[in-house]
Amino acid sequence: MIRYLLKQLAYMAATLLAVSFLVFALNEFAPGDVARKILGAYATQEQVDALTAELGLDRPLLVRYVEYLGRVFRGDLGESLIYKAPVADVLWDRLGNTLYLAAIAFAVVVPLSIMLGTLAGMREGSIMDRGISLFGVFVASVPEFAMGVFLASVFAVWLGWLPGTSQLTSGAGWSIASQLVLPVAVMVLYDMGYLVAMIRASMVEVMRQPYVRTAVLKGMSMPRVIFRHALRNAMIAPFTVILLQINYLVAGVVVVETVFAYPGFGRMMLEAALAKDIALIEAGALVAVFIAMLTQFVGDIGYAALDPRIRI
Amino acid sequence: MSGTDQHPGVSELQRQLSRKQIGRREFVRMAALLGVSAPAAYAMASAITGTPFASTSFAQQTPKPRGGTLRIGMRCQDLSNPHAYSWIEASNSGRAVLDYLTITGPDNVTRPALVERWEASPDLKTWTLHLRRDVKWRNGRQFTADDVVWNLKRVLDPSVGSSMLGLMKGFLLEEFETGEVDAKGQRKKSTRLWDANAIERVDAYTVRLNGRTPQLAVPENLYHYPMLILDPEEGGKFGVGSNGTGPFELVENEVGRRQAFRARRDYWGDGPYLDQLEFIDLGDDSAAAIAALASRQVDMLYSADINTLSALEKLPGLVMHKVDTSFTAVARMKPVKPFDDRRVRQAFRYATDNEAVLKIAHRGLGLPGDHHHVAPIHPEYAKIDPIRRDVAKAKALLAEAGYPDGIDVEIACKPQPGWEPAAVQAMVEQWKEAGIRCRINMMPATQYWEVWTKVPFGFTTWSHRPLGVMNLALAYRTGAPWNESSYSNPEFDRLLAEAEGLLDVEKRREVMAKIEGIMLDDGPIVVPVWRALFTFADKKVLGFQMHPSAYIHPNTLAVSPA
Repeated sequence: MIRYLLKQLAYMAATLLAVSFLVFALNEFAPGDVARKILGAYATQEQVDALTAELGLDRPLLVRYVEYLGRVFRGDLGESLIYKAPVADVLWDRLGNTLYLAAIAFAVVVPLSIMLGTLAGMREGSIMDRGISLFGVFVASVPEFAMGVFLASVFAVWLGWLPGTSQLTSGAGWSIASQLVLPVAVMVLYDMGYLVAMIRASMVEVMRQPYVRTAVLKGMSMPRVIFRHALRNAMIAPFTVILLQINYLVAGVVVVETVFAYPGFGRMMLEAALAKDIALIEAGALVAVFIAMLTQFVGDIGYAALDPRIRI
Repeated sequence: MSGTDQHPGVSELQRQLSRKQIGRREFVRMAALLGVSAPAAYAMASAITGTPFASTSFAQQTPKPRGGTLRIGMRCQDLSNPHAYSWIEASNSGRAVLDYLTITGPDNVTRPALVERWEASPDLKTWTLHLRRDVKWRNGRQFTADDVVWNLKRVLDPSVGSSMLGLMKGFLLEEFETGEVDAKGQRKKSTRLWDANAIERVDAYTVRLNGRTPQLAVPENLYHYPMLILDPEEGGKFGVGSNGTGPFELVENEVGRRQAFRARRDYWGDGPYLDQLEFIDLGDDSAAAIAALASRQVDMLYSADINTLSALEKLPGLVMHKVDTSFTAVARMKPVKPFDDRRVRQAFRYATDNEAVLKIAHRGLGLPGDHHHVAPIHPEYAKIDPIRRDVAKAKALLAEAGYPDGIDVEIACKPQPGWEPAAVQAMVEQWKEAGIRCRINMMPATQYWEVWTKVPFGFTTWSHRPLGVMNLALAYRTGAPWNESSYSNPEFDRLLAEAEGLLDVEKRREVMAKIEGIMLDDGPIVVPVWRALFTFADKKVLGFQMHPSAYIHPNTLAVSPA
């Protein structure tokens, strides 16, 4: 177990290093060099050369990469072009906001999906199963931006129950909590359809197993069958999928954050990419990859805990 | 009016008004330019024409309530270098804390601000600015001529990168060779004050501008938005807590998120009425702007996009504010192949149908454009024969220029404001018929502004300016920093300088007719539309008037208690 953990950590460190190099190199090798990118496609060659020299970009890639790594290890992520502030300040602030949103959405979407998935998969083909499955397909197939605009039109514009944007300032008389309702709702609805389908499929599979039939035949009550025998086994396959949702909730919510003007990580990355704010893109990409790997890592361990057949 | 100090031009204006050569509005504007106070000018106009002037814009009928917070949805940009602002949004934030020497109102009339009154010499080369004596910086220091001299000199320093330089170049600056050579072996050129005494401190409250050439629009140029008056002790930097003579103090500044201002109670001018003013950054997504306004997370929007018009019209409790302007975007070409041939540039103008673009892209709100970048609302607008769409002529011009099979080009444009890509698409379709095959390179706005002066062919937003000569000086004078089309025409430059020195509108219009002719014949631009500018605000917002430059005057704003 310890050996496995160490191996995984070493593997993660190596991946991060590789990704940091790739992102660094991609910014370099993507058509046009960095100075050309900053100045735009039609800048004169003299302007590009001047800026290249000014930024020290005329030195070998590896030298600059090692320097960059050195700065990162000292905790210096550079200066953001658009926010005119140290990258670290912007990044942690926005990431914190997104983690906050993601945590709430995760806390809602997981129990809700398990409940609905279990109810649907319990009796395959029942009216409840069809109803829940239809609902799941519907919410999963409406794009986030459409769902966001739709919910905002109904609850913010028409009914006036909720604020239309989530700037995380309580100035205009809307509490922070009320501001979180709509973005969380969009994330939950969008994400839930997929999770419910996964859990339902797994549940259906488990309910067909001989040990469930045995439990039912020996006279065990249905709730006991579900909770003692079916649920735990039905959760093994969806478990990794559930953890993968953290990825989406943290790094993939660009659309939700933009529609609701939420000052989060996704919107920050979008604006950084649009403005070619390279220092911010690099740091943000590293964080996103790190989160992806961390959830996978936790997934592996959790998998082993859930399934006694797996030893790590 | 006591006649002693009065500029001789004023009596000329009075004569013109009585002969109906100029309108009353134009009379007031021109008289104000020459140092007559606005109320006096309005009174003179009424006396001459015999009809009372309708209530003026700034005059407030009912007293405005004090107190309260107003939130405005607007991009919160970097504010650190006011003299180099190239965004009106940033200047709106700056305007809360800092003042200008003059102020151009929503009615296009320029009035004194930090300058109490001004005098121009008969040849319009010497302008004397008398400063207010009752202005104190927030830290208690007296505002004096030294502050003004420092600010004026700083914006004209090429290393600061202020767009004031282009406006003032002909008037106060001269070009010289720095003695250095660039990588190509060409001698580098720069600008400096043409005379050591060009910006003269006469006494503690008087500054004199001694110009090289006549300049008419000095007061209006002094309200060009980077011309904010900073505290010299802060060295040109601006941020939270920065000193200012203005109505508010910047208390919070988070770029991309929020800027908050707290009122000061000892402001020398009108207001402030609010306790607190906030700008809230809602990003570039118009859905967010509408939603925020609908749930009153903001009380008004800085300006509204044409794409949001129908949605905003349906929201209850809002008032639409609208004004006609010379706001536009121009498809401008750099002198590189194939645009280096003036017949090709003409072909673009003959291939464009302005009326159709206005309908398609701006729902008809505004006026069809003039391809010389002088708008009908400009006083010196000369109505010359416009270029009307003529596809056959456009084709012939291309063939003459050596492109009988048409040309393939690429236009860079940005997705915001929403009418711009619509206009580009409409024009590209129209051009197709004339054999101009144009690819659209749509790039994010921030990216566009990185390259706007560099792309060979681009569609660039141009703000409204009160005088036609101002846009021309910024965008088409040889060597001006914002001359994005690298346009250089000695005859144009000469006529422009001449027009800038003519007080008489009729005479100026004659020169403008020539300039406009040059632009239609040789110029680097297609100007499809003159936009009307509009926005929506909650009914409770008082004192707001849509300004043709989308300037917000925070000191005049108030909210009625709910």
